[in-house]
Amino acid sequence: MEKISIGNWELSALVIMSFCTKIFLNYPRVMSESAGSAGWILSAYTSLLAFVIFTFMLRLYKKNYGMDLIDLGELIGGAPGRIITGVVIISFLIYFIPVNLREFSENMKIISLVISPISFVTLFFLGTMILAAYFGLEAITRVNAIAVPVISAGFILILVLVGQLYDFSKLMPWFGTGLQEIFIGGLPKLSYFSEIIIFFMLPPFLKKFNNFRKSSYIGFVFAGSFLFLSTLVFLLVFEYPTSTESFLPIFQLSRLINYGRFLQRGESVFLLMWSFAAMLYLSFGFFMLLYTFKKTLKLEYYKPLIMPFAVIIFSLSLTPPNLMSAIKLDTVYFLNWGWLISFAFTTLVFIAAGIKKRKGKKE
Amino acid sequence: MKKLFLLILIFMLCCFLSSCYDRAEIDDQAFVIAFGLDKGKTNFLRMTFQIAVPSAFGQEGGGSSGESGEGKEKHPKSVTITTIESPTVYSGFNIVNTYVSKQLNLSHTKVLIISSELAKENMGMYINAIHRGREFRNTMYICVCDGSAEEYLKNVNFVLDISPSKFYEETFASHRYTSFTANTQLIQFISRAKSKSINPVAILVGVDRIEKLDDYSKENTNYKEKGRENYFGGDFAAGNIPKEYKNKTSAMGLAVFDGAKMVGMMDGAETRYYLMLTGEYDYSYVTVPDPVVENKFVLLNVKQSRKPRHNVVMEGDTPKISVKIMLEADILSIQSGINYEDPEKVEELETASEEFFKKDIVRLLEKTTKVFKSDIFGFGKSMKWKFLTQKEWDEFSWHDKYPNAQFDIEVDLKIRRPGLILRTAQFEN
Amino acid sequence: MALLRKTLKEYLFFTEPDKPDDFVLEEGKDEGNESCNDAVKDGSGEKREKTEKVRKSKGVIKKLFTPEREDTACYGYDSNADNSEKNESDVKKESKDPESIKRKTSISKDVARNLEYMRKVYNVPLNGDVVIREFEIAFKDKTIPAFSIFFDGLVDRMLVNESILKPLMLLSNIEIKGKEDDIADYVQKHILPQSQMLLEESYEKVIFGINYGCCAIFIDGVDKVFVADAKGWEHRGIERPNAELVIQGPQEGFGEILRINTALIRKILKDEKLIVEDILIGERSKTPCSMLYIKDIVNDSLVQEVRRRLKGVKIDHLIDSGELEQLIEDSTYLPTPQVIYTERPDRVSRYLANGRIAIIVSGSPFALVVPATMWNLFHATEDEYVRFPYANLLRVVRLFAIFLTLLLPGIYIAITNYHHEMIPTDLLLAIEASREKVPFPSVFELLIMEVSFELIREAGIRIPGPIGPTLGIVGALILGQAAVSANIVSPILIIIVAVTGIGSFAIPNFSLAYSFRLQRFAYIALGATAGFLGISFGLFIMFLWIAKAKSFGVPVLVPYGPTTADVNKGNIFRNPTWKQNRRPDDLNVKSKNSQQEISRQWKINEEEN
Repeated sequence: MEKISIGNWELSALVIMSFCTKIFLNYPRVMSESAGSAGWILSAYTSLLAFVIFTFMLRLYKKNYGMDLIDLGELIGGAPGRIITGVVIISFLIYFIPVNLREFSENMKIISLVISPISFVTLFFLGTMILAAYFGLEAITRVNAIAVPVISAGFILILVLVGQLYDFSKLMPWFGTGLQEIFIGGLPKLSYFSEIIIFFMLPPFLKKFNNFRKSSYIGFVFAGSFLFLSTLVFLLVFEYPTSTESFLPIFQLSRLINYGRFLQRGESVFLLMWSFAAMLYLSFGFFMLLYTFKKTLKLEYYKPLIMPFAVIIFSLSLTPPNLMSAIKLDTVYFLNWGWLISFAFTTLVFIAAGIKKRKGKKE
Repeated sequence: MKKLFLLILIFMLCCFLSSCYDRAEIDDQAFVIAFGLDKGKTNFLRMTFQIAVPSAFGQEGGGSSGESGEGKEKHPKSVTITTIESPTVYSGFNIVNTYVSKQLNLSHTKVLIISSELAKENMGMYINAIHRGREFRNTMYICVCDGSAEEYLKNVNFVLDISPSKFYEETFASHRYTSFTANTQLIQFISRAKSKSINPVAILVGVDRIEKLDDYSKENTNYKEKGRENYFGGDFAAGNIPKEYKNKTSAMGLAVFDGAKMVGMMDGAETRYYLMLTGEYDYSYVTVPDPVVENKFVLLNVKQSRKPRHNVVMEGDTPKISVKIMLEADILSIQSGINYEDPEKVEELETASEEFFKKDIVRLLEKTTKVFKSDIFGFGKSMKWKFLTQKEWDEFSWHDKYPNAQFDIEVDLKIRRPGLILRTAQFEN
Repeated sequence: MALLRKTLKEYLFFTEPDKPDDFVLEEGKDEGNESCNDAVKDGSGEKREKTEKVRKSKGVIKKLFTPEREDTACYGYDSNADNSEKNESDVKKESKDPESIKRKTSISKDVARNLEYMRKVYNVPLNGDVVIREFEIAFKDKTIPAFSIFFDGLVDRMLVNESILKPLMLLSNIEIKGKEDDIADYVQKHILPQSQMLLEESYEKVIFGINYGCCAIFIDGVDKVFVADAKGWEHRGIERPNAELVIQGPQEGFGEILRINTALIRKILKDEKLIVEDILIGERSKTPCSMLYIKDIVNDSLVQEVRRRLKGVKIDHLIDSGELEQLIEDSTYLPTPQVIYTERPDRVSRYLANGRIAIIVSGSPFALVVPATMWNLFHATEDEYVRFPYANLLRVVRLFAIFLTLLLPGIYIAITNYHHEMIPTDLLLAIEASREKVPFPSVFELLIMEVSFELIREAGIRIPGPIGPTLGIVGALILGQAAVSANIVSPILIIIVAVTGIGSFAIPNFSLAYSFRLQRFAYIALGATAGFLGISFGLFIMFLWIAKAKSFGVPVLVPYGPTTADVNKGNIFRNPTWKQNRRPDDLNVKSKNSQQEISRQWKINEEEN
């Protein structure tokens, strides 16, 4: 396998991309659904919370830097430990990649390819995943590093262009569905930062812990502010009960852009950037799935895995009978329980590895 | 690399071979520019489609210039109209598709006209159907026709434009300088209709009934209600406009809704005050009676200098609403020739016009509480600040409280510029 | 069937990669983790071994062709295949000691044998332009038979007459004070007044010299041959560059003569550290090539790699640098060029000063510069010569041109076929009206126009000069006006195709323009398949592909691809000249600064005074 190295900005861009792509899916809607007009508070709260937990996790992780989760698993429990950790991560990835693939394809179908069968639309995303896996992580991160600023600019542009529709009274009442709902009921929304588990697979590609920490902090800050902005602007434009209706919040926003007779309905242009983000997200996830599998089973190459896994993911993504159940898989099951794997499990691994290491030293 | 190259080729080939499902040529589509909903005679709905005829947009010369050499034809009509009856919106499209050669495409629909008859019943379900469709523009104008939508669409005549879309877009954007209509786009309508703090309005359109101006009767206007001697520029609504023009239709005033149900209409002048109250007001020419000389007028070009300030306080069950409206004006004409430009006298004119505006505004506000029972101004938004959770706000139920509201209106008008004339010199007679 | 099965197998089953690792630029010592492409210099021995293996296997294929070659032509020296084989296996040795190449057949002392041999080599009665002039030299009372051999036209005849034949035949009679007994020494030291003259011992070198416009002099009793440089062939002078015109800036372009080209560069750079390293490419043509670099700037591993690749090129004849480009570039299938191809000495000099390497091929007015990033291809020569705001305007225009060339037809198809809603209504109706009479689907319509446009362009290049303008008129009239009035295409489409074409001419690098012209068709197809989704699919794949690509160890998208230190150092937009302090980070050059940190010292001095 070729030696991969990831630059600082590239890691930040990866963090931004993997946390923020869900803005294009349903993030603002879910936020406003669970916190009403105070969705922006919930968004800020979960972002901050995730950041704090991440800092804490990094502190635990610092001493073992250079080893990824699977290495740590091996450190703790030998081969079984490695395989258990690997399987957890793999099952996690293999749950959310097909769900996201399905959602992105369904969105695309609803937005522009109404008559095309879902498998046709999925094939485009799947094609990019396969090819990206062939090109490898380096190519993905590089494209990502270039695309993230462009996509972010487009995203900010949408938010600015709908500026004439901002109405601050739409953010009232202050606490939306209630403080309890936000601060306690909102806790599982941490799962929106579940991709964090992937980032603990990347350290072997970055040499220094400080670089890793700095870049991921930068990524976190950007991602958090984008998530926050998206929810805020969405709620500024759509009032609470209407805001829970639309299935594609940012797309709905972009449909509202209307400047005179010429600049209308530019949503399709944003569709370009939007599908690009989806492709990056899925490709990165897919590559990491293959990489984890390879690493778990100590295989030499990951390329033979591409086709079989692509087939598995394709069929899994077509398993939910309809869009509603796919969304439910995402927003109900994944959102409520995803954090258990991404945050709780990872922290446990770190703690166990720390203890093990200390013991090893004493002996 | 070669392998990869081939792989990409094969993949692309697969894509092409699986054909292009959604591909639709522009010239295979019939673009609906406006469509109207009426209550049907035989079914729930009567739908009227105004479809653009593209050949009107082709250049004159072209390939067929030889044939039509003798005497240039009049410009072909740029739209065609078809009306059908159907139970639901989408089944209506289907029916039209059977006899129109091209497939209906509603992605360029600029206007949705709803008859007042239908609007007064529940039109929410139809609006929802339209909102769900991806094709429709969120920015399309919602209009209520005082009469039948079919009749309106049949009478629309784009005298100055070739393009129907341009006609609609410019007609309904005229509120920026007339202030006799408002910007009521679909998305605003829907979000207001679903909101608990504000109710929607829609542009009022209509077919003017009179053929000749001489037939026009003063009684059609509502000057008496307003306690005036004669009607002013905005004391009537669409369908009642004293005008003669090739285009029989007009847009003036607003239809007032409670939720998705129409509850009343406002005339042009009331619309102006509605805009002033919500802060959407841009500028317009306003006729104000001369404070000194009777039957003479002062004409002002009124702008809104700042957004109005709303304040709502609950006293028991009655909301006390105070509004401060800040206007500025330029003098366009002083018929009496009194020297209001004088800095000392200008105050007199200012107070008089403030009073004039205030009277009409209070009248409008009371109409909304007593007659419409609908808060179209968004006073509820100012109330909303005072609530902490959605649940409390929902239970408070602003829309039920609004009809009891009491108002305290303050109008602050400053005259800034007198136009080109700084001092009026009297005509010698 | 077998082929199909083989291909299928290749796809469905994984074969272990046996490619050697890609070349990676060696990093400067002071650079740690800051830059992303960490230096991964593998054990070069292993790498070499692998390349050797590859080369060997290529040799096998080559052998298949060699007998044929031996049949058709009879060359004087015996074993051609042997020679190539030897060269292959000796690449390493060769690189260390280029002088070690010696022919097995050594030069005889007997001039008659030599003459016979040369006649055989050059097929003399058959070969019309070989001139063999026999004469005798008077040396210390003896007359020694000798002959000279050269190609008519390649040598300067006056030069041969005046300073070779005349001294040998006439001046040798004059009493000369030299005491040498050895005739070779004598002739060299006293008789031939030639500045460039070599005494060669092998036939191969002699033959090479003769082929390259030298005059060889064989003298009886000497087992060495005088090879006198008498090049005097006709060639084009230095002219204005044809493809890369500038309004401001130097107006010289390269010619076909290697030494003149190198001199043009040395004239600009005036740097004693500028190395012009000569390498011969072509088993038969022995085309002289020069590899230029500035020794104390360029990264050594890069020089090694370029040298390795150049020496590894084994073809019979090398005619032009365009061929060489294809032989040394990293990826053949990558849609974009990976080598800068330029005919401007000033441009080459600038790149050399930045730490790149230029390769000039004799006989080609185009120099190759490596490594090339995408941005180098996007820059034009003039960018540096005009003032900073204007240069940025030009760059914006050029970016726009690239966008138009690459995507406009695809986007047009995507919009008109999938995203009707985003066209302003009036325009939409106008398009609909104009398409009303066109019988084809819009994709087909577009393809007709694109193909005919390519046709005009190709014809425009091939067409003899005087007819050129006619073609433009014919193309514009027939294809534009007539096609519209015949209702074959809609007028709006003509605009699309024309704008696309104009855009492609605004791309400074011709090769890049080719690449975009080619890719444009892919985007048309993708746009027709799935609208914007298809286009973003295409863009994604293209970006991945390019992001993966490297040109001589430098990622093509650097500094944005792997984000390096100079991410905002004027690749898309140019910085003011006084701000361009550092050489490109991605080249890992030896000296980082290209000008002093404060390049405008007068600014400071002014304040101090």
